[in-house]
Amino acid sequence: MVTIFGLTISEIMNIMVKEGVSIPLIQPLIDFLLKIPIIQYVVALILWKPVFAVLILPGLGGLMISLLFIIWFERKLTARIQWRMGPLEVSRPIAGLMQPMADGMRYLFQEVIVHRGAHKPYFVQLPILAFIPILLPIVFIPAGSIYGINSPYSLIITVALLALIPVTIIAIGWASNSKFAYIGSVREAFMYFAYEIPFMIMVLGMIIIYGTADMATIVEKQGIWGAFLNPFAFLGILITTAMATSRLPFEIAEADQEIAFGPFVEYSGILFGLVMTLAYEKMYIMGLIVSVLFLGGGGGPAIPLLGDLSPAIWLFIKALAVMMVMAFLRSIYPRYRLDQALRIGWNSLISLSLLSLVVAVIVRFMGGV
Amino acid sequence: MDEHIEFLKSGPLSLVKRWGAKWSLWPVHLVTACCGVELAHAYACGYDGERLGSLNYGICRQTNLIIVEGAITRKMAKVLRITWEQMPDPKFVIVMGACGLNGGLFWNGYHMVKPSDVVPVDYFIPGCPPTPEALLRGIRALQDKIMTGETNSTAKFSKADLSSIIEIPEEIKQKRVPTPPHSIAKAPVIQIDGQREIEWDEGANLIQTLKKDLEGLYISIEMTDLNRICLKTTPEKTPEIAERLKFTFDHVKSVNVVDVPNENKFIIEYVVSSYGVKDLMPVLLSIITEIPRDNPRHPSLAKHWPSADYMEREMHEFFGVWFEDNPWMGRNFLLSPDTPEYPLRKDFKLPRETYVLRGDSR
Repeated sequence: MVTIFGLTISEIMNIMVKEGVSIPLIQPLIDFLLKIPIIQYVVALILWKPVFAVLILPGLGGLMISLLFIIWFERKLTARIQWRMGPLEVSRPIAGLMQPMADGMRYLFQEVIVHRGAHKPYFVQLPILAFIPILLPIVFIPAGSIYGINSPYSLIITVALLALIPVTIIAIGWASNSKFAYIGSVREAFMYFAYEIPFMIMVLGMIIIYGTADMATIVEKQGIWGAFLNPFAFLGILITTAMATSRLPFEIAEADQEIAFGPFVEYSGILFGLVMTLAYEKMYIMGLIVSVLFLGGGGGPAIPLLGDLSPAIWLFIKALAVMMVMAFLRSIYPRYRLDQALRIGWNSLISLSLLSLVVAVIVRFMGGV
Repeated sequence: MDEHIEFLKSGPLSLVKRWGAKWSLWPVHLVTACCGVELAHAYACGYDGERLGSLNYGICRQTNLIIVEGAITRKMAKVLRITWEQMPDPKFVIVMGACGLNGGLFWNGYHMVKPSDVVPVDYFIPGCPPTPEALLRGIRALQDKIMTGETNSTAKFSKADLSSIIEIPEEIKQKRVPTPPHSIAKAPVIQIDGQREIEWDEGANLIQTLKKDLEGLYISIEMTDLNRICLKTTPEKTPEIAERLKFTFDHVKSVNVVDVPNENKFIIEYVVSSYGVKDLMPVLLSIITEIPRDNPRHPSLAKHWPSADYMEREMHEFFGVWFEDNPWMGRNFLLSPDTPEYPLRKDFKLPRETYVLRGDSR
């Protein structure tokens, strides 16, 4: 009898099926697949809630879909604002939605140049290592009953992991060993401190309001959306999201017209594809956090046919909406200088975050939520 | 079929590779001339090159297409090659405009290089400058090339027989490439101190003062026009003249060399003027000397007039005049190091281009 952690395979199957995602819409299909000998294990594993959260929604699958969609949306929106058509001819019937796919395919089959001056091991592995702080926070973000790990400190862990991403970007710039990459890394480091401190203070304010750092509890407690409880924190976190994901008014670290994509200047081929999407992936995680903290998380009119999937889809749609706002910023704003952005970070944003902290304390003493 | 197309056409994933490369041609644009405006136009709202999935980039590492816009000089050829080398394979080259084809406006120039000698070109887009439509047509043609692997001209001409309508003279039928000028006028008149009768009293006074100041240093000082004075002298006396004049005439406006091959001489002209003395501001004083053409040496005046330095260096590389005491002689300043020597001398000849015709078109 094969046992894993002291459990037989049939016992594990029972646990996985019991804690599986129930979707009434495709339940007959799942039931059918669960009867086929080998495939049943795979299906049960994928539908097991922790694995589903990491792999499908709001995890890797949602990340990829949002990535393909938001890059297309950003290019299309910018084009429409500039009275152009944007990517179109690659797939006319769906308005060029395949464009990021084509770019990705092109990257995948392009030569990866590792130049002579690079610190080669770091240069090659850092774009892949950078995915660890991107993918780990997803484990802690709950979408209704679908979550990876339930922890009373999930919000704090998520924010702490997010703070690791700029470190990998700075390391990427260092490994490139190029002057533009160096300038970009230093700018990234400056920006990192300018937005990270107000961001953490504002998250702290929201923790004070809800009285917990458990994201699942936070979502449950939001009868009124957090955006209305503490609008200052909402505004501030939107601005810090724009700064953290280098959206245009604050796209200073990778300003392509000045320093040629900063830390990413030497990357080519699929490695550039990986590092270029870092900011978008971070934007997805930030979008999820903003949705959980301010927009009611997975809450929304339940769709009976989708069952457990309904809150996950609501969360995904809300995160996507936040990302779309961020994409919209890109096409309408020029770029700040570094000193202007730092002034905003250290003056206005810190003031805003302290104000939001005061509001949070007042809300807490008025009775809280 | 070049190696990049070969790579795209090989393997079981060939279709995906070609599809990706076709719809994601990101051009890095090497703007060397006015064609850059047309490229900007092609990607702006009127024509919108992004429809074709082509995104304009300023950086070479992340791109797969280079659009060479306009004339490539000997100096820019190096830049073009470096930019092309930095791009990851598979990569493609489109050359825009008449200058990139065969020199265009700068045809037969001593400083011109054909882009096809530097990088392997996939498509030429003719025109001066090509219209945005033509550029987008070039990109479409390259997309077709990526899919089919064949380079085809996009212009199709139908042959018209005009012999029944008009008589075409024999010399028009024999198409000839125009030849560069290859003769020198026998005895051109080079007049540099033509005297004119002008009512300019201050000038007469100035000439008297100059004659007194430069006693024994000049051959003649004449008034050639209103506010123009011509001082003729010999080369070895120019440093002394500069030493005496440099506090009133405080800068050199230009240094010129006139090549007179039939008299075997160069005429060197320093045009000096003044910023410091108000009355002398409109006055241009030409200091003119003559040096032998086979031993063109002239004392440098850069020590007295620092603004003469760059112009002397320029004249050195154009005419081969050696300005003694100028520390930069023997090196090229504006021109590329591999430029053929002394391109502005009258007897300078470029190697003539040879055209090899295919058997059937002879």
